[in-house]
Amino acid sequence: MDYLKLVDEIINRGKVKLDELETYLVKNKSIEIGVFKGELDRYSVSESGGLSLRGTVDGKMGYSYTEKLDESSIDMLIDQAYENGKYIDVTDGDVIFEGSTDYKKLNLYCDRLATVPIEEKIEFTKNIEKYAYSLDDRVVAVQTCVYEEFEQERILKNTKGLELIDKQNLAIAYVSLVVKDKEDTQTGIGYKVFTDLTTVDYKDIAKEAVEEAISMLGATSIKTGNYTTVIKNKVFADLLQAFSSIFSADSAQKGLSLLKDKIDEEIASPIFNLVDNPLFEEGFASSSFDDEGTSTKYKRLIDKGVLKTLLHNWRTAKKDGIESTGNASRPSYKSTLTISPSNFYVENGDDSFDDILNGIDHGVYITSLAGLHSGLNPVSGDFSLSAHGFEILNGKIHRPINQITIAGNFFSLLKNIELIANDLKFGTPGSGYFGSPSIKIKFLSIAGE
Amino acid sequence: MLEKKLIEDVLDAALSKGGDFAEIFVEDKTNGNIKLVGGLIENNISGRDFGVGIRILDKYNSVYAYTNDATDENLIKVAKAAAAALNSSKVDLKLNLMKANTSNNNSILKSLKDIPMTDKIELLRRGYEAAKNYDSVISQVVVGYMEEEQNILIANTDGLLVDDRRVRTRYYVDSVASKDGEMQRGYYAPGASMGFEFYDKVNVEDIAKEASRIAKTMIYADYCPSGVMPVIIDNEFGGVLFHEACGHALEAAFVSKGTSAFADKLGQLVASPLVTAIDDGTIPNGWGTTNIDDEGTPTQRNVLIEDGVLKSYLIDKLNGRRMGMKSTGSARRQSYKFAPTSRMNNTYIDAGKSTLDEMISNTERGLYAKKLGGGSVNPATGDFNFAVMEGYIVENGKIIKPVRGATLIGKGTKVLELIDMVGNNLKLGQGMCGASSGTIPANVGQPSIRVKALTVGGRKED
Repeated sequence: MDYLKLVDEIINRGKVKLDELETYLVKNKSIEIGVFKGELDRYSVSESGGLSLRGTVDGKMGYSYTEKLDESSIDMLIDQAYENGKYIDVTDGDVIFEGSTDYKKLNLYCDRLATVPIEEKIEFTKNIEKYAYSLDDRVVAVQTCVYEEFEQERILKNTKGLELIDKQNLAIAYVSLVVKDKEDTQTGIGYKVFTDLTTVDYKDIAKEAVEEAISMLGATSIKTGNYTTVIKNKVFADLLQAFSSIFSADSAQKGLSLLKDKIDEEIASPIFNLVDNPLFEEGFASSSFDDEGTSTKYKRLIDKGVLKTLLHNWRTAKKDGIESTGNASRPSYKSTLTISPSNFYVENGDDSFDDILNGIDHGVYITSLAGLHSGLNPVSGDFSLSAHGFEILNGKIHRPINQITIAGNFFSLLKNIELIANDLKFGTPGSGYFGSPSIKIKFLSIAGE
Repeated sequence: MLEKKLIEDVLDAALSKGGDFAEIFVEDKTNGNIKLVGGLIENNISGRDFGVGIRILDKYNSVYAYTNDATDENLIKVAKAAAAALNSSKVDLKLNLMKANTSNNNSILKSLKDIPMTDKIELLRRGYEAAKNYDSVISQVVVGYMEEEQNILIANTDGLLVDDRRVRTRYYVDSVASKDGEMQRGYYAPGASMGFEFYDKVNVEDIAKEASRIAKTMIYADYCPSGVMPVIIDNEFGGVLFHEACGHALEAAFVSKGTSAFADKLGQLVASPLVTAIDDGTIPNGWGTTNIDDEGTPTQRNVLIEDGVLKSYLIDKLNGRRMGMKSTGSARRQSYKFAPTSRMNNTYIDAGKSTLDEMISNTERGLYAKKLGGGSVNPATGDFNFAVMEGYIVENGKIIKPVRGATLIGKGTKVLELIDMVGNNLKLGQGMCGASSGTIPANVGQPSIRVKALTVGGRKED
């Protein structure tokens, strides 16, 4: 199937009904390898894709999409986009963009990943499981041990003469396991995201999971109260991800973010810098153009505690009389245009992790949060989340704790940041790639016994 | 959707390098989504999902491949590529696919594609007006309309050939209340396996007012205190407690690998004798109802726990092999992009004898969780958490005041034993459940229940 020809045909035929139109074509390939007790227990391969059409009539934008990528879908796409657009009330909404003057060249596709023989990838995954079992007798079950590889090609073309193509790939190795000591059961996870298999040691992934699970054995709750709290790097990254919609100009303009009208105000501790960097080479949400075709750029959203900008696409930018920040996003070809971060992270501070613990007589170190999709409210900033971690005593990790919740408000938390470590770490990529160093908070409300 | 001859050829190619079972899943689905923000229709998108998934089983191991190019030559190519993962010899098939008849649990009266767009838009505008005009503290309202029709065909080397049509409708209202620089949300989103006749059963104004009522209540609420206390969880979406705390751990995916807290406990007392829990994929027009599961097995009513005793797990074919047990019609998947696995359909704690009033009047000091948000669970440890969307403090048998920002945590195996009152007001609520085979519609449900002691994670004033 010649997809470019299909796209051209849609654009040519669509012009009859629609004033301006754009096609957004995504092609995906994936491989998944799952291992259980030394056997290849799950193996999955796919090639798929979809095409979305959006087009305007009198400034009203309608959307349609299909996964049936052939000639038979063309009329349906055009008719539905035309029909759907008729009912839109917003006429100063989405635009079809003519393109930026220049785009950074990024190398997001690693040939080596695709050429490593599948047998090696299977062996690699089996090794993670085998090594995990060998590390400690208390490892009773490896629940999930997988290697996943993704490849995505994006083709954006419109009636304003824009034609952009990019292609990227990445792989994730992930293990989750259960350890047991008498009646005490704990779990741990380890993962790595990469594009070059030869740079990854399977032992590190297994070790991370086993150490996390073993370290939690014997955990009990802690007395309810306010504690000086250190939040682990990747956990703060998860929290940042869960609250990331507050930085969307779309949320702000709709009155769904408390950051509305806060530009140039101090909203965080003066040591806090927050960055969105789509050009970050080690990032897995990098791209030289966003899903509206705008060239992307590095920006500090929060500079020394002061809010400098929100994330924009062209619709929100025009409303505020500024330029798009290059954060237009289509989570999928099935979605309408929205806004999302790229590589989004808190910049490293000056202190080592140990230095941060040093000054704490009695506190809590949070190493895991659960319920991030339900236990927090980006609109109010309130959160109450199930957590586990460690008690800190006299500047040292003292004992594991679980069955606790941490509660607070994200906006107050940002102001209560006392110290930032220099151990920046990223989570797993999704709609954005989020990172943070470990962070010390003056106090957080913790519920336990 | 595909010619019988082609299906047979694909299954034949799938077993060309060994394996003992092959299956093809064909999906053709239309979707429509309309969203209104602040009184204006902002997004309107419709489209078509289409693809084919091919699965090969070899004892306990599985191979899965999918594509959305359903041409003859590509499907054979994909089947052969999947087969290449197995390295043994060809299995000779004598296939005689027989079209199976299924019962129809979801009768559809008003086909969605016959309804003019203007009628759908009108529903959104009505919901907006009702939500916005509920109270002056309501500062923003988002209303959404969702419809889908999924047509699937499943065939396998056991000779099964079956199809199913799943029509689903859902409507949501998300209201925001603002006061003194603070914001709170209220959300309500009923849905059903129904066509447009759903809107003859529900009144969109009622849905809208409910969302605004929650937002308004919460903007005037104090923060919830922390501690261990009795918690009364109201009916309908309160059933997410059972769903998260126990339901997931009863899925064969975890049980078969011995990583569930409920593994090897069939026949044992795992809950308070007041608790009977059921997963029923056949409830007429239920949000999680289908005629067949995503392996083609007819859905059924599964009693999971009866009077506190564990009776059954939720089982799919592959995990059933490991467990030596038959499928319970519980294999589900979001789409052709996912291999099926054991999941919940419509899961609920069955009605008991108490009333909500009795529970409140018998509680000296505790929390009344009227509406729950979502939650999650670690099936290995049983640790669960879920958010209280609308809560109240109960003192001396009376509801005292609304409180916000609470999370309930505990262990699934423990919480079931701690249920000391079960109400007579069973009601189901609609949710989307995410797990390894994707995000699927599922009903949760229960009557009002009381849990003797749960950890409530709240927040004292800063």
